[in-house]
Amino acid sequence: MKVILHDLGPEYEALIEQKCDRALAADGKYAPCQGCFGCWTKHPAECFMKDKLHQACRILGQADERVIVTKNLYGGYSAAVKNVLDRSIGTSTPFSTYRGKQMHHTLRYGRRALSRVIVYGDITEAEKETFRLLVQRNGLNEGIDRSEVVFLSDLSELEGAL
Amino acid sequence: MKTVFINASPKQRFCASAYFLFLQRLFVWGQKVTEKLRTPADHDRILRELSDAQAVVFSLPLYVDAVPSHVLRFMEKMEAYCKENGLHLSVYCIANNGFIEGKQNEPLMQVFENFCARAGLVWGGGVGVGGGVMLNVYRIVYLVQIGILLLNILLTLVNTGSFYAKDALMNFGKHTAIILYLNLGVLFYLIRMGRFIRRGESAGKKYTRILIPSFVFILFADIFFVICSILEGGIFRGWLAKKKPTEA
Repeated sequence: MKVILHDLGPEYEALIEQKCDRALAADGKYAPCQGCFGCWTKHPAECFMKDKLHQACRILGQADERVIVTKNLYGGYSAAVKNVLDRSIGTSTPFSTYRGKQMHHTLRYGRRALSRVIVYGDITEAEKETFRLLVQRNGLNEGIDRSEVVFLSDLSELEGAL
Repeated sequence: MKTVFINASPKQRFCASAYFLFLQRLFVWGQKVTEKLRTPADHDRILRELSDAQAVVFSLPLYVDAVPSHVLRFMEKMEAYCKENGLHLSVYCIANNGFIEGKQNEPLMQVFENFCARAGLVWGGGVGVGGGVMLNVYRIVYLVQIGILLLNILLTLVNTGSFYAKDALMNFGKHTAIILYLNLGVLFYLIRMGRFIRRGESAGKKYTRILIPSFVFILFADIFFVICSILEGGIFRGWLAKKKPTEA
């Protein structure tokens, strides 16, 4: 299953829908993570806040191919996209293990084949380096076999990158 | 010199970020202001405090390998505010994560460095702390120990007329030694960063952790979550199951 998480406007909705099995629009109309760990300890893989992201981790968890389209913000995801990811830690379990010789959580949905991050907007070379590191770290953390990051110079290149 | 300390944990109380910020404050002199950053309602108040400050210290948890989203929203606003008002203060960062390796905070540190470059601020560096949650839990245990010690001294005074509660003092000394040992790396780097904050210089990025072996840490972390999940009931609700979406 291919899931696309994006922070694009409604004008891209048709294109996104056409390119995936499930789309998740990061429109910012939801609350940030409160750090309660309830999605591990109280109501597994579900957030206590009953807004749009209530079951976001279950949707992302289903993806064997996950694509994130995000505007660059200081070499990381936009706040709207990061909010969705912060609210989705239920894709892992509270148990810990070693991956890449470091401590990480075990995976609720197992390993996934691919994660592609498509970055648009003004970006410096230093920010590109940070983004590459971030995507590599996310890949390790989330048990992804292949992690890619693509930098678009213009959103007209989006369709080809999806 | 004015330094603004920002506790950027989304939690209301007993958060690790507040603990490390408290420790960092001890090693910075001059005017000190502490602010809590949880919601957009906090933004304007904090920005006003920054307008005449020379340094700002963020203390925050690591979320999904980077900066939590509510802090990113503030940083965007802070960038615009600092540009509008020609502010060039120094930015320092204390990041803590639930995994034991402090080095896992590296992407977060780089995001702060990139933020400073965008906003025209001076990147002062930071300390990344691994096992921050466990250090914070032991901090709470230590506060309970202080309460127990005071109670024992009071009971000894009532029973014997003396303040000398030998066993209670010995027990408290043991816990003091343990907390000092576990926090040695954190204390060293926060004392060091405090010196750089006072001088207005860059401290660079340093990473440290709770001083126990990682396999012991993982064992304690697993036990902690099992107990929490029993108490909160998650263990009986498909705790580790591959849950499917039930909503459209």
